[in-house]
Amino acid sequence: MVSVLGIDTSAAACSAALWRDGAVIAREHAAMARGHAEALMPMVERVMHGAAYESLDAVAVTAGPGAFTGLRIGLAAARGIALAAGIPAIGISAFAAVARAVPEAALAGRALAVAIDTKRGDVYLQCFGAARRPLGLGRVAGADEIAALLPHGPLAIAGDGADIVAAALAEAARDATWAGDRAPPDAGAVAALGAEALAAARRGDAPLPPAEPLYLRAPEATPLALQGKPRDRNR
Amino acid sequence: MKHLAAPSLGMAPARGIHYLRGMRVPVILGIETSCDETAAAIVTGDRTVLAERLLSQLGEHAPYGGVVPEIAARAHLQHLDRLIAETMAAAKLEFRDLTAIAATGGPGLIGGVMVGVMTAKAIAAVHKLPFLAVNHLEGHALSPRLAGDVPFPYLLLLVSGGHCQLLAVEGVGRYVRLGGTVDDAAGEAFDKVAKMLGLGYPGGPAVERAASRGVPGRFRLPRPMKGRAGADFSFAGLKTAVRQAIAALPGGRAAPQDAADLCRDFQDAVADIVGDRVRHALARFRREWPDGRTLVVAGGVAANAALRTVLDGAAREASLAFAAPPLRYCTDNAAMIAWAGIERLALGQRDGLDFAPRPRWPLAEALPGAAA
Repeated sequence: MVSVLGIDTSAAACSAALWRDGAVIAREHAAMARGHAEALMPMVERVMHGAAYESLDAVAVTAGPGAFTGLRIGLAAARGIALAAGIPAIGISAFAAVARAVPEAALAGRALAVAIDTKRGDVYLQCFGAARRPLGLGRVAGADEIAALLPHGPLAIAGDGADIVAAALAEAARDATWAGDRAPPDAGAVAALGAEALAAARRGDAPLPPAEPLYLRAPEATPLALQGKPRDRNR
Repeated sequence: MKHLAAPSLGMAPARGIHYLRGMRVPVILGIETSCDETAAAIVTGDRTVLAERLLSQLGEHAPYGGVVPEIAARAHLQHLDRLIAETMAAAKLEFRDLTAIAATGGPGLIGGVMVGVMTAKAIAAVHKLPFLAVNHLEGHALSPRLAGDVPFPYLLLLVSGGHCQLLAVEGVGRYVRLGGTVDDAAGEAFDKVAKMLGLGYPGGPAVERAASRGVPGRFRLPRPMKGRAGADFSFAGLKTAVRQAIAALPGGRAAPQDAADLCRDFQDAVADIVGDRVRHALARFRREWPDGRTLVVAGGVAANAALRTVLDGAAREASLAFAAPPLRYCTDNAAMIAWAGIERLALGQRDGLDFAPRPRWPLAEALPGAAA
């Protein structure tokens, strides 16, 4: 019996799900642009429904990419649960979580491009081929770079940045279809991928991916030596 | 702070449970992540700090001349869970031995506050412990009571890089603001002057070091607000005067001795201003809180020796005792957050797991006419 708690706060939604023995047995989801820090733990408590956290095999959380603050809300909660319950915390790629939720029928042999909106006019982009295996690493892609980064042939696009990819593809006159509902990652997929990662680790196939943030972007800050004028100390 | 009293009951105490005169005392884990220090501490109701860990991010922010919020938030997430584990291990405690978990809930850099709050909520949920979101300023305000048995009411000067205010502390949760800065915080003024003179960050210790080599009286610097009614502060004009003094030097640059002299005059001006404002607040405090016996200073700027001397003098004049927590509990720390949690828990208070971190969270509403 494997039981994994999944958490996602990486984008414009907050969700928690409990995976037990091959299926999501409890799940909550709420769309929200802000307020994840308030919503998450009560949601987790409802999904756990009184079950002991120590009975979990792991807690899985979206590691990114996504909104920096949102990622940290979920990661801090997952790492806190892991520390307090003595279980591992597993970091799940937001790209993989979105790809996992795409129905097989929507793919139909197409490659999959997962785009996550950076809210800065560009996207975090990763492409997947047959059996949803990643084709290279995820990266930041400007609107003008997207078309050149996509695999050849028919394509399906998913993720909350799919509109930006679609616009870039329309210009390039490429064959592309929507896959899924352009939604951000969901805790159900995160929990499922966490259970798979746990199984792979138990078989000795791969180490558990740690709950480390995947920001894909450095903090914006100008070193003193390059600053034109004094910058106020942040308060 | 004192060492643990031996249990006076005839039986051995259970592991991790602390007794004072036979009574079980609360044991609280405190978490602080509101600025550039990641900290965890375990404190008991009898003022014992069982263990604490503090990681300063100074080195990560120094190249930028100030705290960069995103860099701070990333570092808090990277280190906090490990620091908590180390603190628990050092105290030889399991989470189930705790009475409650307290974390700074604001005010501060929100990205960091969120990391501490979410970690605390998660631990509280797993072990079904009360969670307390502590106002960081309340942590500072009550810190003298962690260091010693300072009775309410007392007059508190809170001076740090982000805050500068005078409060009458009547009790837990009962703060009356007697004055505050209308522009920069005192610590901010130190940071900015250090930056203008290229002395590095943080500015407080750098300016104090330079000032110790300076000759006083060379630069005429203003004392904004000095002599004015009330107890508000202003440091912007002083900062501008320092900038103009540098510009007026040969080549518009301060040679090392210029910098030292300027730091000395700047520090003297700050001490002069603070002394004057504190005397005004003391006069009112003695009138309206005649039971009050103590003037307390907290916050990182309390490390400044010149300032402490002035405050000690002002307290003497008003026939009050002067108290400053040990330096490590003046600057940001987790023990004061745990202690504030203990004080609030003793009043039956706790917060929900739906607590929303607060980037702004005034300790007391400003009095009519006082600046925010």
